Amino acid sequence: MNPVATDYLLPPEQDMDSIAAAIRAAFRCEQEPPASSERRFFDSFEWSLYQAGAALEEVSAAGRRELVWEDLADSGAVLARQSISTEPGLVAELPLGPVRERLAPVLGVRRLLALLTLTSTSRTLRVLNADDKTVVRIVLEQARIVDDGPGHDRLLPARLRLVGVRGYQEEHAEVSAELRALLPLAPAHAPLLLEGLAAIGRRPGGYSSKLDYRLDPGERAEAATRTILLGLLDTIEANVDGTRRNLDPEFLHDLRVATRRTRSALGQIKGVLPAAIVADFKARFAWLQQVTGPVRDLDVYLLDFPTLKADLPAALREDLEPLKDWLAGHYDAAQRALADALAGESFARLLREWRAFLEAPSRPGADRAAKQATAPIKRVADKRIRRMHRRVLDEGRAITDASPSEELHELRKSCKKLRYLMEFFQSLYPAADIKELIKQMKLLLDNLGGFQDLAVQAAHLRETAAMMQAAGAAPLGTLLAMGALIGHMLEQQQRARREFARIFADFDSDANAALFAQLFTPPSALADAEVSA
Amino acid sequence: MKIIGVYSIKGGVGKTSSTVNLAYLAAAGGHRTLVWDLDPQGAASYYFRVKPKIKGGGRALLRGKRPLDDVIKGTDFELLDLLPSDFSYRNMDILLEGEKKKPTGQLRRLLRPLVGEYDYVLFDCPPSISLMSENIFRAADALLVPLIPSTLSARTLTQLLGFLAKQDGVGALKVLPFFSMVDAERSLHTDTIARLCAEHPEILAARIPLAAEVERMGLHRMPLPAYAPSNAASAAYRALWGEVERAV
Ligand SMILES: Nc1ncnc2c1ncn2[C@@H]1O[C@H](COP(=O)(O)OP(=O)(O)OP(=O)(O)O)[C@@H](O)[C@H]1O
Ligand SMILES: [Mg+2]
Repeated sequence: MNPVATDYLLPPEQDMDSIAAAIRAAFRCEQEPPASSERRFFDSFEWSLYQAGAALEEVSAAGRRELVWEDLADSGAVLARQSISTEPGLVAELPLGPVRERLAPVLGVRRLLALLTLTSTSRTLRVLNADDKTVVRIVLEQARIVDDGPGHDRLLPARLRLVGVRGYQEEHAEVSAELRALLPLAPAHAPLLLEGLAAIGRRPGGYSSKLDYRLDPGERAEAATRTILLGLLDTIEANVDGTRRNLDPEFLHDLRVATRRTRSALGQIKGVLPAAIVADFKARFAWLQQVTGPVRDLDVYLLDFPTLKADLPAALREDLEPLKDWLAGHYDAAQRALADALAGESFARLLREWRAFLEAPSRPGADRAAKQATAPIKRVADKRIRRMHRRVLDEGRAITDASPSEELHELRKSCKKLRYLMEFFQSLYPAADIKELIKQMKLLLDNLGGFQDLAVQAAHLRETAAMMQAAGAAPLGTLLAMGALIGHMLEQQQRARREFARIFADFDSDANAALFAQLFTPPSALADAEVSA
Repeated sequence: MKIIGVYSIKGGVGKTSSTVNLAYLAAAGGHRTLVWDLDPQGAASYYFRVKPKIKGGGRALLRGKRPLDDVIKGTDFELLDLLPSDFSYRNMDILLEGEKKKPTGQLRRLLRPLVGEYDYVLFDCPPSISLMSENIFRAADALLVPLIPSTLSARTLTQLLGFLAKQDGVGALKVLPFFSMVDAERSLHTDTIARLCAEHPEILAARIPLAAEVERMGLHRMPLPAYAPSNAASAAYRALWGEVERAV
């Protein structure tokens, strides 16, 4: 299907009409009328399409708008197109079609954001064989970057694109060789999209919410901790605008995860930052976590709604709709409150003062206040992870089938802390080993999370039912359906509870114990152990 | 990948014209589409200006000496490819009979490697009932059957349905008949259509009118909607494709 395409840059002084004339003189070909179009490239905030090796553009020409899905790796070969009439945004808003089909699994719930807009004029010459069949296409394109204001647009170097037709490789090779002899062509090093992005100073793949620090084991603990916290602050800041505008639910989600990790780092990397500072910012980030909670709860409900509905027997499903209306009805107010909080002075001050603290040059006086500040980070990390691992094992082993759910809740909190610590410090340990332990940790956390979240959801649903009833917004059928849903959740929760013992035993295996000991026991402690043995 | 056979026992009913035009519309709608010209006459290949020739012929394809991938040609239209005809297809039944295992499952087998590559495959079928057509019935998800509204067309449809009813392995095959070369001025046509539609509710609603412009496809050597997009027959093909897309 995919014809080979090669892009060349044309020298700046050449005008396209004389190049087209030269090509016409050299080959038996047909020139299509010149075409102009607007090309708008899209991706999600986290570059989901780019990461998947795809490019998506909206091409508007002669009153028609089309979404075109291209293979970025294979020199932009078109894999699907679909006409559209509204602004590209969320998958759910797109009409059904071949582009939507490809987009849905890659984009998920994220919104398409415009990355780059070009206006382009092109001339296409079709090289023909004796049957007047097109065997190669030559496209001359002059693209211009459209920036926000007038006078800001910029011309990109003109391109000559040689596009093969499947099954006509020989013709393609011949035309290619002759063209290169005929014209001063320089191979283009990047596809047009990437060249355009570079021209406006945007780096593809420039955002990821993943934790990926390169720490040096001997680095002072206090400097490494600042690095970690600064990375989290960057993530928080990167997501503020999208959260305020509610572009898609992932902005808020990433912002909250980075906030939770910040709080965890402040609490867990002990004795490194000044205690008074830690206490102050812990409280302020707790506030942030709290003001962002209500919208996230609603997001989770609305995203899960189809699954919740499917969990019910078919006869009850329609009765659940008023719940969705109720949630949607409260959404705007909650979102407005959130946007106001993020636009307010306390949030601005929090970001400003936190960054100022993290970026300030180390003050020896202040450092001395914290005993571990100058210790090598590896030593601090080893110790914190060892301690937290110990705590997880102690708490987990104490849990029996009769233990109250609070104990599982406490264990979950400890597991999260351990997971974050391993993630913050993963670059200090052999990659495969630490990844394996994080994976094991996630399995246990999934079980505990399922147990806890279902309990919270069931309780929340109960409260919502009470509120809906008080407001006269819940017909009897809806209350019964919600009751059935609560029953289903509690059942699932019991299942998670029954599986806990087995999943914890897997985590508490000898192999994991050996790996934990091997990774997080400092060499000096090993040496001591050998001496005493 | 959806596979659609454009098929009739009768010759000259508009199979090739429909295959070429519908495939063009599928690709214009953004779907990766392949036309497989199974007719040794090579009319579909001709319309796309591709030589009806495969190195080693049908035998090389069946024996796996030449993967389909190697013989597919890009047409002049984006997302639309063609597997050309070959004169050796006239002996296809003999070649198929030579296959020890499943002589009726060969087309299906040959297409398997292309599953991820195309959204639609359309067969332009030769007019006959043969081993080749049995292969088509087993490979296709739907059979698109052009009917000229004459007294005989009712018989061909009944014959086909009767034949399919006796076949194994074609239970999921959707039969989608539609009227082709309709002359609304002729009462014989309108009467036949009314009668057949009453008997066969599965007949699609779109009707392809008799139109001189369709015959000119041979002069233009391209699909009708590519050179006469606003012709009434182009509109009819668009309506037909819309129905087919929903049905498969
Ligand atoms: N709607 C139409 N109006 C007028 N002429 C048509 C129409 N459809 C097809 N024709 C003409 O009728 C002839 C037969 O059409 P076509 O080749 O599509 O039929 P076919 O079923 O593929 O034939 P064969 O069985 O020979 O393969 C051709 O000359 C074609 O141009
Ligand atoms: Mg034909």
